[in-house]
Amino acid sequence: MVVIAILVGCILGAIIGVNGPVISYTYSGYLAIAIIAALDSVFGGITSVLKGNFDIKIFISGFFGNAVLSILLTWLGVKLNVDIYLAAIVVFVGRMFTNLAIIRRYYIDKWSDYIKNKKTTAEKNKTKTNE
Amino acid sequence: MKKGKIIVTITIGIMCFILTALIFMQVKTISQTDISELEIMRESELKTEITSLKTRYDETIAKIEETNEKILEYEASALEGKEASELLQQELKETDDLLGKNSVTGEGIIITLANSGTNKVYAEDLLELVNLLKNAGAEAISINEQRIVYDSYIVDLAGNYITVNGERIVSPFTVKAIGNTSYLESAVAQKNYGYIDTQTAEGKQVALSREASITIAAHNKSLEFEYVREGE
Repeated sequence: MVVIAILVGCILGAIIGVNGPVISYTYSGYLAIAIIAALDSVFGGITSVLKGNFDIKIFISGFFGNAVLSILLTWLGVKLNVDIYLAAIVVFVGRMFTNLAIIRRYYIDKWSDYIKNKKTTAEKNKTKTNE
Repeated sequence: MKKGKIIVTITIGIMCFILTALIFMQVKTISQTDISELEIMRESELKTEITSLKTRYDETIAKIEETNEKILEYEASALEGKEASELLQQELKETDDLLGKNSVTGEGIIITLANSGTNKVYAEDLLELVNLLKNAGAEAISINEQRIVYDSYIVDLAGNYITVNGERIVSPFTVKAIGNTSYLESAVAQKNYGYIDTQTAEGKQVALSREASITIAAHNKSLEFEYVREGE
């Protein structure tokens, strides 16, 4: 069900994005930072789902809040002539890697468990048939 | 299916939609603004260019200032030259005045001589008058608009005409003289023996008038030496 929702959302988003308006180059930097923030939230959400402490309110607030905050920080950086967006990217991408690592470990563990279980069940079956 | 799960699913779907739309829009923007990206890539080059241009601009400004200063100097020296030339001009004008090369104005007298029947005015009469006037301190004299200058001459030509400065003049003769009117008048107007009385006695028409302002024209011939050389 969730997978279907994700797929439908992605396809619809792709269609709208391709046919949508072109943003002025000046503001594309802000949009890019917002995208990075949103992606970070998504990976964070996936991690929390896997950990079992997923909260939709935290997820939504993080998704939009981080995006808006990063845009504001970038804007402030432009005003102060400091590349604050670099700090935002470092933080978000670093967190994305951490979350990805957690997801990777989770699935690898699951996979190795699955193989182990298969082996043990096979051995059990073997012993059963031998008996 | 639980109600909460449906909400979560829809929310995630909407968020995915937003995220994908944003990503695609961004990609589209970046790919479409290729030129401006190129410009961004050359930003450092542009910065260098600007810096060099600024330096050149400053140099040019300095050069302009230098040139302006030079111009001021030249102007100052030209002004000095101008003063000198003005002085020379002044001197030249004075000399020309003395030589009779400029028309002059001033108080003076006008004497008119005219033939009367057979009693003609001769060159000697005019010469005598000029001498008398000069003796009385006349500073500028002209006869029928012919200025009397240092090389002027008054001669009879074939008995019928009088030549002044090579110009033929005829009666009546108007002699203008600038100077102290009283002196000039007294030089020619003594009773009985004076010039006017003598000429009148000879039967010529003579008239004298005192003028507060007479204008005497400039000498219009060239004043040049042909044989004279500057002495050692």
